[in-house]
Amino acid sequence: MNLATKVFSNILRKKTLALIIGLAAVVLFVSYLELSGVKTGSFLNRAMVFATPLLFGTLGEIYAERSGILNLGIEGMMSTGAAAGILGAFALRSAWAGAAVGMISGALLAFLFAIAVVHLRGMQVPAGLGLFMFGLGLSGVIGVTHAGEKLPYIFTKTPIPVLSDIPVLGEFLFQHVPLVYLALILVPIMWFVLFKTRLGLNIRTVGENPAAADSAGVNVFRTRYLCIILGGALAGLGGAFFSVAWMHYWLEGMTAGWGWVVIALTIFALWNPLGGLLGSLLFGGVHAFQFELQGLGFPIHILGMLPYLVTLITLITLLLFRRRLGAPSALLTSYTRE
Amino acid sequence: METGKWVAVLVIVAIVAGVIGYVVKPTPTPPEVAELQDRVSELETTVSEQSARIDELEAIPKAKLVKAGFIYVGPIEDYGWTMAHNRGRTRVDEKYDWLETMYAEIVPEPEVSDYIDEMFGKGCDVVFTTSFGFGWDTVKAGARWPDKMLYHCSGDSSIHGTAPNVGFYFADFYQIYYMNGLAAGALTKTNKIGYVAAYTTAELVRHLDAFYLGAKEVNPDVEMKVLVTGSWVDPATDTLNAETLIAWGADVIGFTADAPAVISKCQEHYEDTGEKIYTFSHYSCMKEFGPDVVVSGQLVNWEKWYDYLLLKAQQDEAENWQHWGLINGGYCEMGSDFGEPINPIFIDDLEAVTVTDPVLGTTNVYDLIMYRYEQFKDERSTYEPFTGPIYDTEGNLRLKPGEVIDGYELWWEIQWYPEGIIPPE
Repeated sequence: MNLATKVFSNILRKKTLALIIGLAAVVLFVSYLELSGVKTGSFLNRAMVFATPLLFGTLGEIYAERSGILNLGIEGMMSTGAAAGILGAFALRSAWAGAAVGMISGALLAFLFAIAVVHLRGMQVPAGLGLFMFGLGLSGVIGVTHAGEKLPYIFTKTPIPVLSDIPVLGEFLFQHVPLVYLALILVPIMWFVLFKTRLGLNIRTVGENPAAADSAGVNVFRTRYLCIILGGALAGLGGAFFSVAWMHYWLEGMTAGWGWVVIALTIFALWNPLGGLLGSLLFGGVHAFQFELQGLGFPIHILGMLPYLVTLITLITLLLFRRRLGAPSALLTSYTRE
Repeated sequence: METGKWVAVLVIVAIVAGVIGYVVKPTPTPPEVAELQDRVSELETTVSEQSARIDELEAIPKAKLVKAGFIYVGPIEDYGWTMAHNRGRTRVDEKYDWLETMYAEIVPEPEVSDYIDEMFGKGCDVVFTTSFGFGWDTVKAGARWPDKMLYHCSGDSSIHGTAPNVGFYFADFYQIYYMNGLAAGALTKTNKIGYVAAYTTAELVRHLDAFYLGAKEVNPDVEMKVLVTGSWVDPATDTLNAETLIAWGADVIGFTADAPAVISKCQEHYEDTGEKIYTFSHYSCMKEFGPDVVVSGQLVNWEKWYDYLLLKAQQDEAENWQHWGLINGGYCEMGSDFGEPINPIFIDDLEAVTVTDPVLGTTNVYDLIMYRYEQFKDERSTYEPFTGPIYDTEGNLRLKPGEVIDGYELWWEIQWYPEGIIPPE
C-alpha cells in the first residue's frame, strides 16, 4: 500500500467517524426531546415547509453568484412569482400550472436584469435594487384581480409510502406537498452539477476569472445569462410556493421580506447548495421554534435579525480560521471582451 | 491576518454591544400624563351629541361642493385595514352628490407630506391620513395649510389637540374582542387558547387582554399563549404560528393581523383532520376563508366617521378633538359577517354552555354574549370588561375589586397581561 492511499483512507476514516458521531448525537438529542414530550416530528415538519421557499431562492442565487452576478432582486422576483403563480393557477385551473407560471415570471424578470448587468454591463447592486422595486410593484398590479380569493386548485399532501412511516424522520422529510420534495431533490442535483460536471466547472470559472474562462472557450455571456435566469426561475418558484402551495391565496406583500433572507442564506451557505439546505433548514427551524423562544423571553425583533446575525458570525468565525471564504472572485464585476 | 483578527473581534464586540443596548434600552420619559388626560377628556363629544349633529347637518340644504382626499398606507385590496377605509370612502361618496373623493394607496410613511400637498394642490378641502406613522407629518401639514382641514386616523396621544385644524378619529375593537373571548372560552375543549399578534403595542395588548378576560369569565381554567410576528402582513409567519399553537393543543385561535392566514390555516386543519379550531375574523369579513371555523369577528364601519366629519366640513366646521368610535354609535360591530353577529352554525354550541352571571343568574353563553352586545350598544350602560379584581402575570393586583381601568391607561399605556396568559416576552 503506498503512502497516498494510506493518507486517503486515514482521512476517510476520520470523516466517517465524525459523521457517525454526529448522527448519533442528533439521534440522541431527538430521542431526548421526544421523551421529554416535545413533538419533534411535527416541529421539523413545519421547519421544512418554511425552509422550502427559502431553499428554492437560495439554490438559484447560489448559481447566479457562482457565475459572478449578485442579484439583489430576489424579493421582487419572489413577489411577482407569488402573484403570477396565483393568476396562472386560476387561469389554467391547476396548481402545477400556477407553479410553472410563477417560475416563468421570475425567469422573465431575471432576463431583464441579465440584459442590464451582462449585456449593458450595468452596476449589479443598483440594478438588483431596481429589480426588487419593479417586481414588488408589478406583483401588486397583476395580483389585484385575484387578491384575497381562495384558490380551489391546490397541491395535495403526498406522503411517500414506507419512508413516511419512519418515526420523526418520516414526518420531517416525507409527508409534504410535491414541491417540497422537488426542493429537496434539487439540492444534490445542483450540488453535483456545480462541483462534479464540466458545466459546473465552467460556471465556477466564469465567476472566478471570466477572462480565463473566455480564453478557454467558455461563453461567459451565455453562462451568466443562464445562471441568472435559473436563479430567477427558482426565486419565482419560491414565491409561487408561498401563494399556490402554502397559503392558497395571494395578498399584496405576502412574501414579507423573506427574499432578503435568501441573500444572507446564500452567503451563509458559502455558495454551496448543501450549505443552502443547512441554512434554510436552520432558519426555518429557528422560526418554527418561536413558540418556545418567545416563551423564554426572546424579543421578536432579535428573532427577526437572527439570520443576518448568524450569517455575520459564521463569516467572521470562518475568516478567523480560513483566510478565504470562497466567494466568487469576479462577483460584482462585469465582463468586457477585450 | 493579525489586523483581520482585530477587525473581526471589533465587529463581534459591536454586535454584542448592539444587542445589549437593545435589550436594556432606557424607557422614554412619559409626557405629562395628567395634562394629556385633561386634554383628552376636554375634547371628547358624546355619541348622542354627535348623532344629533349629523341629523341637523343633513337637513341643511347643500350649495358648496366638497372635495376630500384619502391617503392610505396599504393597498386597497389588502383584505384588512386599508380595504375597510376604502369601503368607508366609497359609501360616503355614493351617499352625497355634493361630495367628490380621491385617494392614494401604498403611500410610504416618510412621503406623506408630499401627498398631502399634492391633494390640497388639486383642490381638496379635507384630507384624511390613515396610518399611525402619518400622524406627525399630518400635524405639520396643518400649519402649512391653515385654511384646510386634516383628519388623522389613530395617532400618538401626544399630538392630539395640538393643531387647530387637525382632528383625530379611531374605531376600537376591544369590546368586541371581549365578546369573542366569551365565545372562545365556551367553545374550547382543551382549555388552551392561542393568539397571534402582529405587535405588542397598547392597542394589541388591549385587544388580546380583553379577549382573554372574556374567555376567563365563562371558563376560569382557560390559559392563553400569545405569539408575536412583528409584522402586519406576513402570512407565512402567521400560518407557522397558528400551526405551532395547534400543535401545543390550542383549539381556539384569536389574532390581530391584516391577512386571513390564521383563518385559512384553521379551515385547512378542519378539512384535513375533521378537528375544529375556532377562530374570529379581523377588520373585514373573512368568513369565506373559513366557513366552518369562523365563529364571529370584528368589523368596522369607517363611513360613520367620514359621514360625520365630511358633513361638518361641508359647513366649514373643523374640529381638532380626538374620539374613540366604539360599538355604541355603530363605528364597529361584532360579526362573522355584517348583520350576522355569530356564525349560525355555532349558535347551538354556544347555547349548550351555561354560565352563572352575577346580574343575569344562570344563563347560556349565547344569551350572555347578546346581552353584553346590547349593553355595549347602549350609551348609558357603563359595563367595562376591565373591571377588577384583575391580577397580571407577575401576580400584581392591577385593578382592585370593583375598580374600572383608567381610560388613559387603556388607550395608551397598557402593557400588562392578565394572569393566565403566557406572554410573548
